[in-house]
Amino acid sequence: MVLLLVIVLEVILFNSLGRRFLSGGNISNVFRHSVEIGLLALAMTPVILTGGIDLSVGSMMGLSAVLFGMMVNSFGVDPWLAGLAAIGFGALGGGLNALLITRLNLPPLIVTLGTFSLFRGLAEALTKGAESYSAFPKSFLALGNSDVAGLPAQIWVFLMVAAGIWLLVHRTTFGRSFRAIGYSAEGACYAGIPVARNTSLAYIIAGAVAGLAAVILVARLGEARANAGIGYELLAVTAVVLGGVSIFGGSGTVSGTLLGWVSLAMLNNGLTRISDYRIMDQTVASVARELSGLLTGLLLLAALAIGAWTKNLATRRARGQSHPENPPRSSPP
Amino acid sequence: MRALKGVSFELQPGEVHALLGENGAGKSTLIKVITGAHQADGGSLFVAGGEVVHLTPSKARELGIACIYQQPSLFPDLSVAENIGLRLQKTGAFSRVRWGRQRSRAIDLLQRIGAEISPDAEVRSLSMPEQQLVEIACALGSGARIVIMDEPTASLTQKEQHLLFKIIRDLRQGGVGVIYISHRLEEILALADRVTVLRDGESVGTNPVDELTESQLIKLMVGREVSSIYPPSEGEPGEVVLSLEGLGCSASGVGGVTMDVRAGEIVGVAGLIGAGRSELARILFGITPADTGGIVLNGERISITCPREAIARGIAYVPEDRRRHGVILEMPSAHNMTMASHPRLFPGNWLRFNAESLLAREFIRDLGIKASGPEAPGGSLSGGNQQKVSVARWLATRPKLLILDEPTQGVDVGAKSEIHRIIRRLAREGLAVLMISSDLGEVLGMSDRIAVMRGGRLVEWIGREQADAHSVMAAALGTNGKDAA
Repeated sequence: MVLLLVIVLEVILFNSLGRRFLSGGNISNVFRHSVEIGLLALAMTPVILTGGIDLSVGSMMGLSAVLFGMMVNSFGVDPWLAGLAAIGFGALGGGLNALLITRLNLPPLIVTLGTFSLFRGLAEALTKGAESYSAFPKSFLALGNSDVAGLPAQIWVFLMVAAGIWLLVHRTTFGRSFRAIGYSAEGACYAGIPVARNTSLAYIIAGAVAGLAAVILVARLGEARANAGIGYELLAVTAVVLGGVSIFGGSGTVSGTLLGWVSLAMLNNGLTRISDYRIMDQTVASVARELSGLLTGLLLLAALAIGAWTKNLATRRARGQSHPENPPRSSPP
Repeated sequence: MRALKGVSFELQPGEVHALLGENGAGKSTLIKVITGAHQADGGSLFVAGGEVVHLTPSKARELGIACIYQQPSLFPDLSVAENIGLRLQKTGAFSRVRWGRQRSRAIDLLQRIGAEISPDAEVRSLSMPEQQLVEIACALGSGARIVIMDEPTASLTQKEQHLLFKIIRDLRQGGVGVIYISHRLEEILALADRVTVLRDGESVGTNPVDELTESQLIKLMVGREVSSIYPPSEGEPGEVVLSLEGLGCSASGVGGVTMDVRAGEIVGVAGLIGAGRSELARILFGITPADTGGIVLNGERISITCPREAIARGIAYVPEDRRRHGVILEMPSAHNMTMASHPRLFPGNWLRFNAESLLAREFIRDLGIKASGPEAPGGSLSGGNQQKVSVARWLATRPKLLILDEPTQGVDVGAKSEIHRIIRRLAREGLAVLMISSDLGEVLGMSDRIAVMRGGRLVEWIGREQADAHSVMAAALGTNGKDAA
């Protein structure tokens, strides 16, 4: 609810400050440029529901992008086939995370912090820190830059992934078990839920979607570099948490994640618009772009604070009303 | 629930005073009150003639009260000397640590209790009894006048026991008062001067040990009559559902368990805490798989390596710790009830909300669960209703063997008898029930046969006719001459 309000406010504010914020062209631009982060946020949702986190998805994007570029540029693999392979590499990377987390019982934060460096390091080693790949056929680049049925092509891919993750989380026993594991992994184990298997699934999906995001990023930029997706993992976590998914696991919805992503994407785009069009006083306008990080932080903290505050209020009200079964204890005789 | 009701307890200098009682009789609570970990809400406490109000753990230490718990609370990464030093020295944040003096003091204390432990050893490397000795050295060094020992011999070997008894006798010689908690009656009779028996949070009397026999002690502990509120057993048990042949798991300390459970029969499993009863259940449920012996279920020899497999085989386990393992408190009751039956209820892994809600409503009606509806979170229900949700979860798996671990622990009286009626009805409908319980009345009232465990082994079978509180308690304590098979 809070997020819907935020989105409406953003639209009103940016529309009055910057020109053409609400134009069809700009709106589709907003989504075209943030599809990758949206995909990562979707992929992160099941992981966070299990009470874990995957900090390696941004680095996984870099590694997948480089592997993809190498396959197409150096080995002449068909880009669509290479795209499938990139998704497979992502799944493998997710599998490595899953293995370390479920078999060795290492904390997800530490494991994915390790693979965060590992994957990025591999990507940089493969490109010797400087090389990039940019010879891609036009038909492939269309995925990143053309419209299909009036929407950016990659939005259709995004919508399919969103539908898939929504079904997984809200309509299958896997989603149910993610929540159970997030609330109490031990309790889930005692209920016969295959905790290791299902936790692994969440990380493998996250890796695979990161691979997909890499392919889409390359298609949009026309270039595959080792630095693809730097910092995206934290933006994705921000979107998920902003969307009301508990960082401790258990509760949250895919639609929440989507709203969190939209409000974040609009904030960034809107601020860029202000500075692009120089509607405001010039000094303020040039600051606007730098404000992005600050406002993202404020938005996150405010959303969390309001969420916690309303919840406290609700429980206090509930406690105040009912509890006739707990009369004050009488003193001992 | 009131854990202690008007208990009077008195300890003389130079006395070993034993504290005895069943599981849950209030011994631990009394100790917590004496050490300041819990506040009493009535009555008063005198130390050396002076009344103490608002006792806190640090104040208790100043007064010379030291407690040695079953699980020593030392810093595992520090050396023995450092641990002793930390307890004894009152150091401010910036005061010097006098390493030499700390070490020589530790050597002196360890020598006084006759412990062969190097002061430089890392505590992590010590065995449990050695750590207990370090704790005793700390208590000695702090000049404690009151030393409390909570089941100190539970993990000791014969030789270490003798050492400990010698230390206790030395303490007594030195005028220290010792409160000694143990389930081992022979120890109490050999060591203590007086014994206070607690039952249901009340003291049933303090007596000099020379005036008592083991049999009298047991009578004092169990005391009460088994009430007749338990639903009667009916019908003849059917086919053997489960038989165990020398089942064991070295990791959980259970070995050589052989038993049969028949359809329609309730087998009670009695024993003290730590006797290996829940461990046995966890072996059968595949949480800690067996490494010796065999399981035969419905005539088929099987091995169970994970809970999923146990469920598929028709074994259900209602765990002891309801809030941690039995119910996921944040999730709706309906989700909790279907959680163990996903493969059966949701073919192809697609949730079927109608089927789920139907099943939940059926159980809510059938078991008399007081919940606002299938969507009510588990945590919003009372303890008894949570337990019913936990039972419903396992009935939904359509089990052949139902293992119940402390099914009515922490449940109010009304819900308790409802749960008993449900258990009896399930047995009548042909379910084989294995009921682990520390509630003697429950074991006696509900069971068709009683298996008594001690030290990880099944030590005795008692039939319904021969079973009384005395015989079960004697077998659990191991005072009937027979020992572990």
